[in-house]
Amino acid sequence: MESQPHRTPRNYGDYMDKRLFTYINWSLLACLFLLYLIGVGNLYSASGTRLETGLAVNSFYQRQLIWGLCGIICMLLAMVFDYRQLRNLAWPFFLVTIFFLLLVPIAGKSVYGAKRWISLGFMSLQPSEMAKLSVLILAARLLARDSRPLGWKDFCAILSVGLLPCTLILMQPDLGTTLLVLLILGGMILFHGLKGYVLKTCLLAIPCVATFMWFVGMHDYQRQRILTFLDPSNDPRGTGYHIIQSRIAIGSGELWGKGFGEGTQSQLRFLPERHSDFAVAVFGEEWGFVGCVALVTLFCLFLLSIFSTAIQAKDRFGSMLVVGVFFYFFWQIFINMGMVIGLMPVVGIPLPFISYGGSATVVNFTLLGIVLNVSMRRFMFKG
Amino acid sequence: MFRNSDIATTPDIAPSERKGIRSWLKIQVESETYQPPRGGVILLQVLVGLMFFVLITRFWYLQIHRGAEFTRQAQENRLRIERIFAPRGRILDKNGKILADNRIAWGLSIVREDCTDIPATLAQISAWSGTPLPQLWEKFHQDRFKVKPYEPLLLITDMDFGMVARIESEIFAWPGVKIEVRTKRSYPEQDLFAHVLGYVAEANEQEIAADSALSMGDMVGKQGLELKLEQQLRGNKGLYDVEVDAHARVLGKTLREAPRGGHELRLALDTDLQKAAWDALNGEAGCIVVMEPDSGKMRALVTSPAYDNNLFAAGISLKDWDALRTNKRFPLQNRVIQSTYPPGSVWKLVMATMLLERGVQPRESVFCPGQVKLGNQIFRCWRRGGHGSQDLVHSLINSCDVYYYLMGERLGIDKIETFAKACGFGSPTGIDLPHEKSGLVPSRQWKRRRFGRPWARGETYNISIGQGFTLVTPVQVAVFVSALLNGGDLLKPQLVDDAPREVRGRIPAKPETLRFVVDAMRRTAAGGTAKVVGRKDADMGGKTGTAQVVKLKMSAGDRRLRTSEMEYAQRDHAWIATWGTKDGKSYVVVVMVEHGGGGSSVAGPVARKVYDHLFGPSGSSASAETSTAISHRPTQGRTDGEPTPSYTPELR
Repeated sequence: MESQPHRTPRNYGDYMDKRLFTYINWSLLACLFLLYLIGVGNLYSASGTRLETGLAVNSFYQRQLIWGLCGIICMLLAMVFDYRQLRNLAWPFFLVTIFFLLLVPIAGKSVYGAKRWISLGFMSLQPSEMAKLSVLILAARLLARDSRPLGWKDFCAILSVGLLPCTLILMQPDLGTTLLVLLILGGMILFHGLKGYVLKTCLLAIPCVATFMWFVGMHDYQRQRILTFLDPSNDPRGTGYHIIQSRIAIGSGELWGKGFGEGTQSQLRFLPERHSDFAVAVFGEEWGFVGCVALVTLFCLFLLSIFSTAIQAKDRFGSMLVVGVFFYFFWQIFINMGMVIGLMPVVGIPLPFISYGGSATVVNFTLLGIVLNVSMRRFMFKG
Repeated sequence: MFRNSDIATTPDIAPSERKGIRSWLKIQVESETYQPPRGGVILLQVLVGLMFFVLITRFWYLQIHRGAEFTRQAQENRLRIERIFAPRGRILDKNGKILADNRIAWGLSIVREDCTDIPATLAQISAWSGTPLPQLWEKFHQDRFKVKPYEPLLLITDMDFGMVARIESEIFAWPGVKIEVRTKRSYPEQDLFAHVLGYVAEANEQEIAADSALSMGDMVGKQGLELKLEQQLRGNKGLYDVEVDAHARVLGKTLREAPRGGHELRLALDTDLQKAAWDALNGEAGCIVVMEPDSGKMRALVTSPAYDNNLFAAGISLKDWDALRTNKRFPLQNRVIQSTYPPGSVWKLVMATMLLERGVQPRESVFCPGQVKLGNQIFRCWRRGGHGSQDLVHSLINSCDVYYYLMGERLGIDKIETFAKACGFGSPTGIDLPHEKSGLVPSRQWKRRRFGRPWARGETYNISIGQGFTLVTPVQVAVFVSALLNGGDLLKPQLVDDAPREVRGRIPAKPETLRFVVDAMRRTAAGGTAKVVGRKDADMGGKTGTAQVVKLKMSAGDRRLRTSEMEYAQRDHAWIATWGTKDGKSYVVVVMVEHGGGGSSVAGPVARKVYDHLFGPSGSSASAETSTAISHRPTQGRTDGEPTPSYTPELR
């Protein structure tokens, strides 16, 4: 150890250290901007509707562009402070989230029969988005306490921290986000490690919990979605329509695709939710197998870049934070793509950077800001 | 590992730590030599690899393995095929006069999807068109499952222009209401060609199922030439590729195949001649065939009574249909090809040809005492007093029955059957009209099959004079007479003008035989039973026939009943089969008047009027006397075959 092993900056001048830039995860940044641009381009095509008069393009891509700029600002904000401060903010942030989640049933506004939003006058807030972040940070803090694999006590403590917001979100109802929060939490716990007997018991418990959820915890339409996923022809006009049309869109892209802006399935409105959850189907139709391989590869590189930061982090909290972000993206990519190509039931989970969504874009950028934050502050532990 | 001190505070802050916001914000680091858990590192890498593998495999499956299938499904999603109407070929007569035409008809339809208030709209349509509302509802309910919500559902088929103009001015207030322009078939000559042309009507489900080119609402031929030559007349529909979106809105059309109109048909028929023949029949039930013996072309084909085929083309009402169907005079029947009659004495032409071929000498005479006895049956000659000694020529000229009784007996039924069938009787002539009847040439086998009894000798007597079981159609007679004239070729009667001569059989007879029979007909027209058609300015020939419908009815005084004394349905059928040649043009005219009475007195004058049209008017003394005698069968004196002196100037 040398003279200034754990230097903690006290004034802003300290942040101007040149090493901050050298240690930034540049490959992650490159993947991020590439994905973002692909997303905006694809949205331009996905929001086109062919009418008798010609092609009418909705303004989704422009709005996504603006949200992206907001996201970049948030990302920069998430980079300037030392991420270790987040450890202190974990609990307060969590409590605020719970407060807002409790507020939803009382003051929330109803959209499509689900109460998920709170209107703040100038903007709408989705507390479930906050929940993803706060659970992630709190879990990182709790898991960073000890390096040993978790025993029953710690496991239950961490799980209950996650289950509280999850129950509130499930009541909205928002199965997608609930699932995502649980999966992030599960991923982080697995990464951290469990004691052998805990892991085995959990694996055995999964079928029981699934059965319980099926009969008690799920709404009819959610059960219907899973049934339809197993056999889309069951309900070709309803939920099955999404799956069938999405498979047709992607499949008809064949090897080289139909070309940018040439997707008939999307422009003729056969493909539902083409700018949000099913945006990647538009991509698949227009860019074909070649484009899809490129996109999947890019997503994998993106995840591996996050992964590299996670293993390079010099403290456990930072590492766990990045692992949380890793799982946040991993599950969304896997579930959304799996859903669009018919490998998973239809769950309302968007594809990061490709699907349109304002707050999701901002959150995505912010989380990556945290990852970059961790990566650029690696040197602080070095000799 | 750091089991006891999870949290190592940074050394420069830790010792002098104070309570408060500052201490709360202090940065804590749990370890200085952090190593990520090995299991976790492997987990993350495996997850990324797994995701890559699963997604790529699935994309390969969807886009490469099943790509072609999904491409086809995407096309099906996007493209609908729309048919373009191809106009049906017109039908013209020999001189280019239009017999069947396409006219524009306006219809009114609603597009359910665009219609905001269907009950109100239907009520409005009812108010416009005067169609009762329940009828519109019925049509609406009938068709709503046959057409898609975005397709027009036709409610009113044929509106006049005034109504169209009125609706056009108000239509803006009624979304979903559309004025449709369609074509309708029209037959300007109405009854005159009804049986020849037939009619078109909307294709029914069986027809659509049988013919892939047909779709709902198409018009197809149902009768007559419209049915028989459907494939030529129909033409080929064009196809549009219509691009639609998920809401079935039409975005654009690309022509895939242009429509091709049907062939225009020019018939051999002559409207003026047809009209003259129609007038000559004067409303009697019967028919007239005018055929060119050398080419087989039909110049007139009249059957009466007839119907207006426009009724069918417009969609016949139940009332009209019932009236036609139950009419006692059977106006729907095409008597030329669909009615079979005993040929009566016209049959003697067939018999005479056969006798000559079978070696009967023309000079051989038979004595006619007016009747012959066979067992306890008496077979009478039409002339009660008898004809005396008759050879073959005079048996034709005088139409002596006894001669044929005895001669027919000599040959036997088997030879008669074979020869008659060889002359085209008992089988259809192949004319381009549907539902042609074969007629009947009886045989021993037929008798046994039909009645379970053997052939009786007396039946041969009856067959020999064209009575009994024998049944022929007028067109068969025309084909036979044409063959006598053209050297023996039994031709297909051609209705289409440019149709080639088609020989379907030959009379098994030597040319001399045919010339002999033709000459006998010439002498019959000149001074025999058919002299009513005889004229100085043309070479004429004929043979009359009076076919009994029921067995001879004798009144109390052993006197044959006059036609006017009989029930209509029991009256004799009047036949005449004639030919005429003038200025190198030959025609065969066959007239059949159902229950008309005598051949020479009823059918003869009709044929004469047809020739008057063909060759120009001529007044012959013979016709002047006989044409007035309608009510009774004239008894004609024996002639020597010399033409009756005429006062008309010689035209030749």
